[in-house]
Amino acid sequence: MSCPKTPHLLQEYFAEDLSSRPGQEIQKHLDQCAHCRAELDLLLSTRDQLEGWQEQSVPHWDRGMELFRREHRSPAQEQGFFARWQWFPTAASFAMLCLMLFNTTIVADGDGVSISFGAAGGEAQIARAMEQFSEQFSEQFSEQQQLEREALVARFEARQDNNNVQLLEAVMQQSQQATAENMELVYSYFEQQRLQDLQAMRAGYQELLDSDYQTIRSLQQLAQYVSYDDTLIPQ
Amino acid sequence: MNAIDEDDALIAAALKGSAYAWEKLVRRYEGRIYNLGLRLTGNSSDAMDLMQEVFLGVYRNLHRFRGDAKFSSWIFRIAHNKAVDMNRRKRLMTVSSWGDDGDSVDVLDTVPGESQQEPERQLNALQGNELVMAMLARLPLSQRLIVELKIFQGLTFEEIAGLQDISENTAKTRFYSALRKLKVQLEEDNVLS
Ligand SMILES: [Zn+2]
Repeated sequence: MSCPKTPHLLQEYFAEDLSSRPGQEIQKHLDQCAHCRAELDLLLSTRDQLEGWQEQSVPHWDRGMELFRREHRSPAQEQGFFARWQWFPTAASFAMLCLMLFNTTIVADGDGVSISFGAAGGEAQIARAMEQFSEQFSEQFSEQQQLEREALVARFEARQDNNNVQLLEAVMQQSQQATAENMELVYSYFEQQRLQDLQAMRAGYQELLDSDYQTIRSLQQLAQYVSYDDTLIPQ
Repeated sequence: MNAIDEDDALIAAALKGSAYAWEKLVRRYEGRIYNLGLRLTGNSSDAMDLMQEVFLGVYRNLHRFRGDAKFSSWIFRIAHNKAVDMNRRKRLMTVSSWGDDGDSVDVLDTVPGESQQEPERQLNALQGNELVMAMLARLPLSQRLIVELKIFQGLTFEEIAGLQDISENTAKTRFYSALRKLKVQLEEDNVLS
């Protein structure tokens, strides 16, 4: 038993978007013709076999990082004016990471916001985390950058930058428990934030250049934003 | 930020030299490309080669990527072309050992598996991914690619036609032929009851 319509009909069936329902004509014929129906069932279970594919994880590889780092060893735009600023966002991220890691509480009162470390863990844990953090970034940091970063971390904490504290609070609300699993998420969030901040700063700087330092006030605002030493900026 | 915007942001940052952004971009797509490679080549070592070539191609051409197309479409185009290149290289190697000029053969339609000494395994002895890879290995590359793009990547026939530089109708016919051929094989090896 066979049906002359089978090839054309089934080709049309699979020519449709696979998730959509077959057209009326096709459905009508399928309802009447057992041969076409049987053939279709076989094709569908063939497709099911394929769709049973289980995603396999990628074996370890370098992701082209060596090549990338080699070719971007000293990117031109990191030099000069911005070389001093570029790790500020990282510093802020790092400070926030510490806050997350060590069960920090943030208390807001009339005078502003104060941050205190929780009892759990203690200084040894903090030291260990700082060590890990340094290790992770030691490739990327020159010694001078490292010093700058530390200075910036200190400055960040001293000034209790309001924007960052707000950001932190939002993040902390989102992830109540700082488990090892979501730390990675939080960390990548911070990194992303850092990239965005960096881009925003560059854009701001570029705008200033474009307006030929017309607005010193904007420069002051920008400096404030990154906690840059504002004594360097003419009042 | 949706997935496409995030791709764009990562590309912009990578172009400015952010190794972090580059790594994140790779991580977003390496799984899909590696699994595509497994299905197209049938083994993990070739799949790794393919994946590395794809990302090298992405890296070398990143500055040419324009935001008007989706990055995912762009990377699958690269993967598609690399798979064809790889197949061509394999074919050249095997053809020369046969002493055949091979010019009459469509590059796409040579199955690398055909020339290997290993006998084809009976499909009914296999299951899961092994079965899928063995099924696909019996198709010519042109059909294997269509199955990959249609079933696993969910492309429309219009997109496939653009990618393979064929008409939409040819793409549809090719997909149906591939599915039928797979069905016949499964029947012959008693996988389908
Ligand atoms: Zn029929």
